[in-house]
Amino acid sequence: MSNQFRLPEPYGLLLDRKRKVAFTFDGNEYTGYHGDTIASALAANGQMILSRSFKYHRPRAALTYAGQDSNSLVQLPSNPNALADREPIIPSLQITAQNYSGSLENDRDAWIGRIAKFLPVGFYYRAFFKPKGAWEIWSRFIRKKAGLGIIDKAHKPEYFDKQYLFYDVVVVGAGPAGLSAAISAADVGADVLIIDENAILGGSLNYARIDANGTRTGELRRALTSAVEKHQKIDIMVDTICNGWFADNWLPLINGNRLYKTRAGQVLLCTGVMEQPAIFRNNDLPGVLLGSAAQRILHLYGVKPGSNAVILAGNNDGYGVALDLLDAGVNVELIVDLRMAPEFDEIATTVVDHGIRILQGHAIYAAIASKGNRHIRAVDVRPIISDGVCSDKSEIIRCDMLCMSVGFVPAYQLACQAGGRLDYDDEKSVFTLTNLPLDCQVAGSVAGLWDIDDVIDNGKFLGKLAGSADQVLIAAKSTTDKKISSTNYSWPIFPHPKGKEFVDFDEDLQIADIVNAVHDGYEHIQLVKRYSTCGMGPSQGRHSALATARLVAKETNKSVAETGVTTSRPPFAAEKLAHVAGRAFYPARRSNMHHRHIEAGAQMLHAGTWYRPAYYGSQDLKTTAIRREVENVRNNVGIVDVSTLGGLDIRGPDAGEFLNRIYTFGFLKQPIGHSRYALMTNETGAIIDDGVACRLDEHHYYVTTTTGSADSVFHNMLKWNAQWNLDVDISNVTSALCGVNISGPNARTVLRLLCTDVDLDRESFPYMGIRVGTVAEIPARIIRVGFVGELGYEIHVPQHCGEALWDAAISAGSALGIAPFGIEAQRILRLEKGHIIIGQDTDAMSNPMEVQMDWAISKAKPFYVGGRTIVELKEAKATRHLVGFVVRDPEAPLPLECQLVVDNSEVLGRVTSCEYSPTLEKTVGLAYVPPGIASPGKQFTIKGTGGVEIAADVVMLPFYDPENLRQEL
Amino acid sequence: MPKIENVAPTNFSRRSQLYRRHVAAGAAFTKASASAVVAAYSGEHNEVHCAAMLGLADLSSLPRIGFKGSDTTHWLEKRIPRLPSRPNLSKSQDDGGTVARLSATEYLVLGNLTDAPSLPAALQDVSIDSSTQRVYPLPRSDSHAWFALTGTYAPSVLAKLCGVDMRARKFANGNIAQSSLAHINAIILRRDLGTTTCFYILSDTSFAEYLWDAMLDAMAEFDGIPVGILALRALENGISE
Repeated sequence: MSNQFRLPEPYGLLLDRKRKVAFTFDGNEYTGYHGDTIASALAANGQMILSRSFKYHRPRAALTYAGQDSNSLVQLPSNPNALADREPIIPSLQITAQNYSGSLENDRDAWIGRIAKFLPVGFYYRAFFKPKGAWEIWSRFIRKKAGLGIIDKAHKPEYFDKQYLFYDVVVVGAGPAGLSAAISAADVGADVLIIDENAILGGSLNYARIDANGTRTGELRRALTSAVEKHQKIDIMVDTICNGWFADNWLPLINGNRLYKTRAGQVLLCTGVMEQPAIFRNNDLPGVLLGSAAQRILHLYGVKPGSNAVILAGNNDGYGVALDLLDAGVNVELIVDLRMAPEFDEIATTVVDHGIRILQGHAIYAAIASKGNRHIRAVDVRPIISDGVCSDKSEIIRCDMLCMSVGFVPAYQLACQAGGRLDYDDEKSVFTLTNLPLDCQVAGSVAGLWDIDDVIDNGKFLGKLAGSADQVLIAAKSTTDKKISSTNYSWPIFPHPKGKEFVDFDEDLQIADIVNAVHDGYEHIQLVKRYSTCGMGPSQGRHSALATARLVAKETNKSVAETGVTTSRPPFAAEKLAHVAGRAFYPARRSNMHHRHIEAGAQMLHAGTWYRPAYYGSQDLKTTAIRREVENVRNNVGIVDVSTLGGLDIRGPDAGEFLNRIYTFGFLKQPIGHSRYALMTNETGAIIDDGVACRLDEHHYYVTTTTGSADSVFHNMLKWNAQWNLDVDISNVTSALCGVNISGPNARTVLRLLCTDVDLDRESFPYMGIRVGTVAEIPARIIRVGFVGELGYEIHVPQHCGEALWDAAISAGSALGIAPFGIEAQRILRLEKGHIIIGQDTDAMSNPMEVQMDWAISKAKPFYVGGRTIVELKEAKATRHLVGFVVRDPEAPLPLECQLVVDNSEVLGRVTSCEYSPTLEKTVGLAYVPPGIASPGKQFTIKGTGGVEIAADVVMLPFYDPENLRQEL
Repeated sequence: MPKIENVAPTNFSRRSQLYRRHVAAGAAFTKASASAVVAAYSGEHNEVHCAAMLGLADLSSLPRIGFKGSDTTHWLEKRIPRLPSRPNLSKSQDDGGTVARLSATEYLVLGNLTDAPSLPAALQDVSIDSSTQRVYPLPRSDSHAWFALTGTYAPSVLAKLCGVDMRARKFANGNIAQSSLAHINAIILRRDLGTTTCFYILSDTSFAEYLWDAMLDAMAEFDGIPVGILALRALENGISE
């Protein structure tokens, strides 16, 4: 029969009974209603067991029906460890239970529970350390059994993203305090956001009982939610969890696949309270649940959780649960009241009037299980002699459900993250929150208030102050207007000689585990947590923190206040890494001529954030394509996109002085129309960048940088000039300019076709000259440089004209056979010429002398960054040199970058660059080697891939055109 | 909507990084300065209506220029009647353009949405004596791509990409934020078109394609679409349909 435990309307506030939803659980078909959670729909069909416990494989059912405990963890197709009492059912959803061997009902691994005494607290720590080798044995077993759920490796990533939100006031929790606060804050003009983790507004008003006839919560809920929903200044987010509090009221709110990064002027935490279980033998059996859980499943989901109930009460709330169960047609067999002489309120008095049997000063000594611990079938009730101690006088009461209403702890996690101080009042057995920042306050039951009118008044009061951002009043009033009351029974913990009184359901930790942790010397609550793992499971101590503190306090002869509880760090609830990562952003830079490369068949690669063409042609013909590009540059003319080079305009009367200080060369006397190699070192004398400094006029230099260092060089310049305060302006024009380099013996011929207003003759425009003119009618800066060792012109034009320049150059050079070349060819060409690449042929320690660039250092100027250190380094004994080498054997494998230079087992250095040179028809490279083998004619050995030894000979640099005739054509 | 005299972006040396995307989306172009700007896209959308809800326009072909240096404010005061009084504030100009003050000594001058002469071109032609004046022009036409994000949902889209509160009542017309947008640096200034909320977004040109795609992706949930400059002109002239 389907939904045989379903109650008629008005039960089931969240259900849309017109929309049936079919799903499967462990292969069996079930039907629920839209609005059901997995747990409620299964409970409506009589399926209470949802999972097996982590360690002992005990059957577990929902404890809270609020998604707060690990009992309800189930496997969804692409999502392990979903909370069955939080996750809604959707049509055709396939759900499976977790952590069992065999079947959920008959788990073959349940035997582990019978050897519990051989798995004492701290077992893992002990097994890790001794006896020697024990871990090797245990780990095989543990790894096989550890872990919950199965990751779907075929799962396709979903779209997750983030959004910022900004509000004057954010109210966390939409119960009576939160709703009242939101209205008050909005009424005084604040923009208010109210969030709640549940599907509808109302909080406890949706299920709790606060009067004898059970009508007031509904009336309040309707009035408050209606006012909130109608208010123009209030935004509502339900099914939304606030997973932490961070500085300046930054709240991560998670709703669906989106993380809302929320800034709030004021935060009001109306997070309510979390009901706590009593600790007795078999308190984890299916059918044993919190009183509030029974009310939730009755009122929210219209499910009768049993037919014959026992209530364990430590307060009058248990009597409200009893009335709710009676109204729903559940027989209440007995109320076991822990209190010796309780003060009854109107609700409790009504229960008495119903003639329900009540045993005062009694406890549940143990729950008695049906076969296989699959459900509760009775309770062992005994009189209490003293705190935690019962007499031997036992009464067995048959039942199929046991509701625990023994106390609450405030949902203090966010408040503590905000800096709130959590104290425990041993006399009243309640927690209090103080020391909160002025812009983050607590209201309602989380603040210790219990009477509904006090809760609402408190919400109204603090809401109004928050809406007015009246922090002075908040500070003065928020702590004094509370009427803190208690509903907590002081010691609902009853040890049993046979154990299985669970303090922490997540990790199957029993009373003895906590006590033994203390006896093992871990007396501090934080150490107990780490040693026992108590509170480290999915429910993060929500139901175990107080009980653990009580047990530790007792064992250490301290008060609970002195003992405290463990730290509550974000996230409050489990969150997906996808929420943290959000939407994938891959910022990528493209030059204006990017698409021309694609159209020309370029294989693109990432150079920092830039896309650059590696070579032009298919991947399977890579080597051929690169060689063709190299040969075309050497013998004809090629064109390469150099837009990614950094570009900086240095302007002002002190521009020359500035460059003189920031680079190693001298620039003060650099003639206008000339460019000069510029090498940058840091304070330690290490090379950090290089480029070309071009003097455009008396007060204007244009400086290029390497592709990856444009921003860092720019920032470095700004930093230094903040100290020097020279009369100079530094502008990063990297993206404002786009450039190509036309290189090869026919470069001038091509450029002549495009440029008529600049004299391109060799004498008029010599090597390292800079001219301003037009190329293809586009304003251009033309620099004669030769990174690849041929006649070459670097042409820099406005970025948006890049494609037009490229088109014009290709068109002009087509008759000559101009062809684009990529980075791969450029690397070979520059290596043949012996030019280094900063970052590839240098590292964080490389100084100019090591890389044979003493020539780039001015000896005449008084200061430059790194100069003092370089003087010292020159006098010190060198430890390595970057040298050129040729691989002796033409058949030897190509040495790779970073492969080692060795002498037998001794490491002497490393290769930084190595390529086969089509021009020289041999393999050439650069490597760091000790001074002793750095001179031409010396030999060394490179340890290649697979340990192959490759013989290399040191040669003079450059490998190609040592007289520099080609670049000065 | 006026008749469009369609021109091809490749007729000009200056081309937006995005012109291929616009062509693929069925754009018709009109001349703007010495370049082509999207006039409108083909399709059944009423672009003016869409722009009033949520639209994204590429204005990168329109003129703009920057200036910085210690004498800049004094220098500009002589040439522009309404300079913003403080950093992170912009002011509309008589020609329909906008002057944005980015710092105490740095300004950004944006042209208008028409093809009529505008301030950037006029300022570009003014010669500056570098020996006596600390005024340094900045090539903003090329260093920065220029987008306009328009419509009711524009603040919601920005909330997905930027950490600055740009809700209409918090980020007034004329305000400027220099912040991170979709993980890259951007200048965002609110410059309403008539009664329609509009944000000008200027970001490194080389990121133009990335940012365009990132913004359209963020706009998808609000049914935002690319729009042409004709829709923006209509909104500026108070035409909402």
